[in-house]
Amino acid sequence: MAADCQSLLELTMEGLCQPPQEVGSEVTNQLLDLQWKMGMAVSSDSCKSLKSPYVAVTLKVADQSGQITNKSFEMTIPQFQYFFKQFKEMAAVIETV
Amino acid sequence: MAGELEGSKPLSGLLSGLAQSTFHGHTGITEELLRSQLYSEVPPEEFRPFLEKMRGLLKSIAYADMDFNQLEAFLTAQTKKQGGITADQAAVISKFWKSHKTKIKESLINQSRWENSLKTMNWRVDLKSQSKHLDQINVPVAIVELELGKSGQIGI
Repeated sequence: MAADCQSLLELTMEGLCQPPQEVGSEVTNQLLDLQWKMGMAVSSDSCKSLKSPYVAVTLKVADQSGQITNKSFEMTIPQFQYFFKQFKEMAAVIETV
Repeated sequence: MAGELEGSKPLSGLLSGLAQSTFHGHTGITEELLRSQLYSEVPPEEFRPFLEKMRGLLKSIAYADMDFNQLEAFLTAQTKKQGGITADQAAVISKFWKSHKTKIKESLINQSRWENSLKTMNWRVDLKSQSKHLDQINVPVAIVELELGKSGQIGI
């Protein structure tokens, strides 16, 4: 699982993240950085033994004006595997273009 | 009237309704709805403590994520308590937990996720053909759309 996360990180840093462009040169937001962590929800007030692993991701994004925000979210393991699969497909397409 | 509450047939339906509102976030299932649908002969002031007792039992079982041995021991102890449950009721609760345990656990996990989750993800790859900056021509760019949102929280 950690190996998958690390591969994802390398994929994104190499292929998808770009150095900040000049203001106004991109029409979408730009991904500047991606950070991840893996956690395990152990226990909660409604369930003593949750034992639920998750992957949390924070994206550092610059908008068209250059303003930087962080977007973060969590994924269950199946969701993360789907997320990772999408990036692998993107990387494969980029290779062939 | 008390005889009605001790019956086990409507209890199964009651437990389903309780699970829907307590674990799965269904907001429309009120005490009055359950009473009128399942225990219409029982007056509200008698029904309320009964409902709360059942809700408490379900929550305890879910909190401890009981396996079948623990469940049997727990329910047996409840039948021996003053103001506890009958053996018939214990059997209904046991059957209910066995078939709904997994789904309830999933809902509890969902309820504990308070950050944004990934709702949808779309992507495409573009090849720039024209740009203000010549060095960007023929550079493939992946564009990703992520929809983030809160899920699984009850009543907030």
